[in-house]
Amino acid sequence: MANTVIGSSIVIDGEISGDEPLTIQGTVKGKISMAQNVVIDSGATVEADVEGQTVTVSGKLTGNVSAREKLELRPESKMVGNAKAPRIVVADGASFKGNVDMDV
Amino acid sequence: MASEDPCIIGSKITVRGHISGKQDLVVEGHIEGHVSLDSQLVVEESATVEADVEATTATVRGEVRGPISATRSMVLESTAKVAGKLTAPSITIEDGARFSGEIEMDVELPAGLTAGSR
Repeated sequence: MANTVIGSSIVIDGEISGDEPLTIQGTVKGKISMAQNVVIDSGATVEADVEGQTVTVSGKLTGNVSAREKLELRPESKMVGNAKAPRIVVADGASFKGNVDMDV
Repeated sequence: MASEDPCIIGSKITVRGHISGKQDLVVEGHIEGHVSLDSQLVVEESATVEADVEATTATVRGEVRGPISATRSMVLESTAKVAGKLTAPSITIEDGARFSGEIEMDVELPAGLTAGSR
């Protein structure tokens, strides 16, 4: 299955939705609503509310995240916003500001 | 590196809004809104695009509703279904392609040539 990659020199202003893994290397503003995994690569800038099965952040993310399975903030990631997921991993070196809701 | 690989909007993806950039874009899914690229665009057979489209070259194998403008060239391949206005210096419509709309080929002629000499 083709993996959707929003490349580093692509800017999307709007809404992305679908049922396929999504990797973002560029800039997305708006809303991301996926049934599968979302990866925000290092170098990516996302200003959007993000919904996915698992959400993995290595880049910069401003917005609320809702992951059905897991949210992972990698070492170089910067996230500002509220996080909602049953499992949340914040790596050493990640920057995060916001509320965490693990649904306990 | 990433910038050499085309950006792919997969067949189960919907993008609503504005897409811009300098990277080649392959659309297999659904796009609504505006696409404005400094690079090549390919609309695959599975794709449906309802958008204003601008690119350097555009290759259409799928469905596009909306004006398409290419600064270099445009090809509607045999599986294409297009409704809208096409603007490009060079436009190819293959046998089997379905198109309704207006075509404008605005050719910039080299110095010394006039439109009558073509």
